[in-house]
Parts: sequence; structure tokens; C-alpha cells
Amino acid sequence: MPRLFAARLLGRSLPLLLLLAACRPDTPATIAPPEAAAAPQQLRDDLGRTLTVPAHPRRIMALAASMTEMLYAVADTATIVARTQVCDYPAAALRKPVINSYPLDLERLVALKPDVVFTTTGITSEADAQRLQELGIPVYYQQYDKVEDIFRGLTDLGRILGRVPQARHLVDSLRAELRAVESLPKPSPASTVLAITWTDPIYVYGQNTLFTDKIRLAGGQNAVLEKFTQPYPALTREYILQLNPDIVLGGSFGKLDSTFFRLYPELKRIQAYQTRRIYDPTDDLMSRPGPRVVESVKELRGLIWSPPAP
Amino acid sequence: MSRPALPFILASLLLTAALLAVGLRVGSYETDYALIGRALLHYDARDPAQLVLIELRLPRLLLALLAGAGLALSGYVMQAMVNNPLADPYLLGTASGGALGASLTFLFLPGLTVFGLYAPPLAALVGALGVTLVVVVVGSRRGRVVPTLLLLAGVAMGSLVTAVGGLLTFLAATEEKLRTITFWSLGGFERANWATLPYPAAAVGLGLAALALLRPQLNLLLLGEERATALGLPVARTRWLLLLIASGLTGAVVALCGPIGFVGLVIPHLTRWLLGTVGGGNMLFCALLGGNFLVLCDLLARVLYPPAGLPVGLVTALFGVPFFVYLLRKQGA
Repeated sequence: MPRLFAARLLGRSLPLLLLLAACRPDTPATIAPPEAAAAPQQLRDDLGRTLTVPAHPRRIMALAASMTEMLYAVADTATIVARTQVCDYPAAALRKPVINSYPLDLERLVALKPDVVFTTTGITSEADAQRLQELGIPVYYQQYDKVEDIFRGLTDLGRILGRVPQARHLVDSLRAELRAVESLPKPSPASTVLAITWTDPIYVYGQNTLFTDKIRLAGGQNAVLEKFTQPYPALTREYILQLNPDIVLGGSFGKLDSTFFRLYPELKRIQAYQTRRIYDPTDDLMSRPGPRVVESVKELRGLIWSPPAP
Repeated sequence: MSRPALPFILASLLLTAALLAVGLRVGSYETDYALIGRALLHYDARDPAQLVLIELRLPRLLLALLAGAGLALSGYVMQAMVNNPLADPYLLGTASGGALGASLTFLFLPGLTVFGLYAPPLAALVGALGVTLVVVVVGSRRGRVVPTLLLLAGVAMGSLVTAVGGLLTFLAATEEKLRTITFWSLGGFERANWATLPYPAAAVGLGLAALALLRPQLNLLLLGEERATALGLPVARTRWLLLLIASGLTGAVVALCGPIGFVGLVIPHLTRWLLGTVGGGNMLFCALLGGNFLVLCDLLARVLYPPAGLPVGLVTALFGVPFFVYLLRKQGA
């Protein structure tokens, strides 16, 4: 019974909490909550680096576009002090001051005095992170190999930022949405999907990328089964002919026909070209491991299940 | 002093045949010699393994062969023309110019096509020949190519163009663009196809023919400008002709394969070391040796880092430089 009561209480007070959260932006830092003096948190990030972060970080930012999306989904948006030149979602992020992330504008970043900076592996170099740490700004890395890792990442952010209910609410709804996609009928055998990121030389989404998990959840299969040291390996035309993928992602049929397949006419023999199953997923959904990941899985499902282009 | 070249040329041809035979076997598809025989004699494009052999592996090997031949010949000519063993095909800024041309298309031409043609090789050719032209203009006085001036102008322009390329690389924010630019600064043969092979083939064929005719003049130039003039050689005109041949050869290679380093420097040395300075078969042997060297390097690149292979320019330097140093020490002894 007490649990039920608690749930009911939470259910009733949640709108109020959200409303409060929405109101906070105007007066966050001035009325410091009494627990501000609490002991700082000792954290270990996804790379195993240990760092010390204030108990209630009130000035935060992200150095990756996907991480800015994560922060906007979980954090009190008034505590986000800046974005990078590539962070453009959600639209509200565009109003924040810009810190150049490549090359990293250390001076402006330090001047903003963030309590903690969040980023993902592969975006911020560890050398930059080290430099920031030396300047007294802790850098928290997240790494995602599976879609589940993103949910865990959101939960971690909620805990670090004192936004556990918000994070839990978001993750629960994302999980429910994902389950709904997963419960849809699946083809057997799953279509093999080759996702290209660059045409000259040919680079693709490798087996050890988040794409592999996303396409599996969407009812397909990454055509690249071999694990290369590079997450986005370069492939030869011969290798792709042997993969003979059912579907190619990376641009509309018309676009790839006039660029990719014009440059490599031999590849017109692959199944995907013969059946014109060549599609153009949204760039940001493909490349950003963030709270829109389920939207990305849904988009992939829609693409690989759509009838071949006319 | 010179040695008869024929045995060396025959040995090179045998080596070429052996390298091609091995090269046709290396790749993602399992192939055997029976299949290779069938593909060569009764080509059936419906069989994907045969398609891979004929449309992908064979042109790649031939492109490597032609590129090596072109660069080695070009280096041979350059070294003779400026009478300096340090000269190489990129003396005139051809390599950096080509890389810059290609990089520009990747950064400023999103579709990568101009009038329906794939732009990067064209831009590389334009960049290579454009920079060469500037270097030649700076490196000549009153219609005469001045070797020392040319060397200095080439080094200076090369640095300038490399700096501009570096700036573009720095400003190219995406990782993929950086990779493309890496390709255009280290070279490779992955894009080989039958449609573009005729260009380097024609360049190497014409270059060899022209150099066969110019061989006496080339050897006179090696005596130094004064003695060559005294012996009745129109030095200025000969140098222009040689310059034209060398630029054409390098440009054709750079446009398709990117600037592959070191071949043009080391192969001419090796040729002269084996056959003497003024041998009759030098040019042909130099071309064959260069071709074999690059086919071997490409094979190594693909075996060491499958499937796409390391950039071949890395392999030429990693394996070529130690050998070159050994050669220098041995010569000095």
C-alpha cells in the first residue's frame, strides 16, 4: 500500500514538479538551495576516469551535439551555460552562447567556469579533456555501444545532475516506445543493410557501432559482420560486392545513382541497387547517439520496410 | 660504364608477370588459378568472382604498374634535366598541387561533379599542372629553364601549396573529409577502373617513345650545361621538352592515384646503380622497375591492412627508405 500511495503521490505531483522545473530558469543560481554545501560527488565515467563534481552542478555544458540533446532532455535547461558550433537541437539550444569545439576554444570555455563538461568518446580528444581537468574543469565521458547504453547514460546524467525523476520518466517512455517497435512483425531472414558514411574512399558503419544495434532493433542486420579496429572501416568495392547487401543507406536512390554508383559502376550488381532499395536516413538521427535514438530506430524501420523506390 | 640492359629487362618482365599472378589472388573473394584462367580466357560477367577479377583486381594492378612506371620515368627525367640526384617528380610542386586541387573539390563542391564528370581527378590534374606552370615561370629566365632557380621555386611553391592544403584540412571539420584529404596526400589505387586506365597508359607509352628519341640529348645533359652546349645541344629547347614530358607523366598519375611518394626518387637511382648512367635500356628498365615496385607495395598494403589497404604512399616510404639508405651506404663503401 505505501508504494501505491507513493506512486500516486508522484503521479499527482509530477506535473507540479515539471512546472516548477520549467519556472526555475529565471532564478536558478541566486537562491542557492541549502544543500549546495553538500559534499562533492566522486564519479567514475564510462572511460573509467575518476573525477570530482559538485554535489549539485549548476553550470554544465556538452562538447558533443548528441550530448547537448541528452542534457536538454534531462537537465534543468537554465544550468546549460553553452553549446558548441554543431549543437543545433533542440531549437532552444541555439540561444546559448557558442564555444567552438574544433579546435577547442579553451579560453572561452574556462571563462564560462562550468562545474562539469559532458562529452562522448570519439568527439572530444582525451588530450583536450586532460587539459580541461588541469584547468579545474572535470570532463565526463559517456560511451554507447548499444541503445541500452544511451538509456543508462540518461539515467547516469539524471543522478549526477540531481534530476533522477526526470531521467527515469524519459527513459521509461523511451523504453516503452522501443518495445512497441520491437513487438512489430519482423522479416525472416533479416535484410542486410550497408550504411555508408563517405564515398571516396568508401567508409561505412562497422559492426562495432551503435548502428548495428539500432538496425537490429529495426528488424534488419548490419551487412558488415566482420569486426575491424576502426568503428567506421574503409571498404573495397570487392568487399562490398561480396557482402551484396539487400539495402544501402546513405542517400536517395537518385542521389547515390548519380554519385556513388557513377563512381563505382561495378557496384550496380549488388542486390540493393538491383531492387532499388537505397534510402536516405536523417543525418543527425544516424550520427547522434542521443534521446532521439528511438526516433532513429523507428525511421530505420520505416525505411527498410518501405517498398522499393519506383 | 654501362651494362647490357636486356637481361635486366627480361627479369623485370618475369617479375611483373609473377606479381600480377599473385596480385590477382589477393582480395576478399576466394579465387584460384583455374578461375583466373577462365576469367581471362572466357570472361563471364555474370559470375561475381570473375567480375571482381576482371573489373576490380586487374585494373588496380595495371594502374599500380602504370603509376610506378610513370613516376619512375618522370623522376629519371627530372634528375637528368636539372642534373641533381635529389630531384623527383614532385620537384615542380605537382604532388602538392594535385592534392590541393582534389581537396578543394571535396570542400567546396558538395556534389563532386562538374558537367557530369567526377571532379576530384580533374581538379587534381588542373592543380598539378597549374602549380607546375607557376614553378616553371618562376624558375626560368628569358625562355631558359635555370635548374637551381627551378629547384628553389619548386621547394618554395611546394611549401606554400602544402600550407594552403593544411589550412583546408584544418578547416574541414568532419572526419570523413579528413580521410579523403588523407587519401589525396598519400595516394592509392582503390578507384582504378578500365574507363580511366587509358590516360596513364597513353602518358607512359608516349613518354617512353619520346624519351627513346631524346635519349642522346638526355645523356649529353648529364655532362653539364656548358659541355652539352659545346657539343651542339640546344640545351634550352631540350629542357623544355623534358619538362613537358615529366609534367605530363606526373600529372596523369597524380590525378588518378594521388601523390605517391618516393618511387620517383629511388627507382631512377636504382636503375643507374644497376645499369650505369647512360645505358641504352635505362628508361624501359626504370619504368618496369617502378611499376613492379608499386605493384609490390600495393600488395603489401592490402595484405597488411585488409580489406581497403594502407595508403600506398606510406608503404613506399616504410619499405623504400630503409632499402634506399642501405643502397646509399653500400655505394659509399
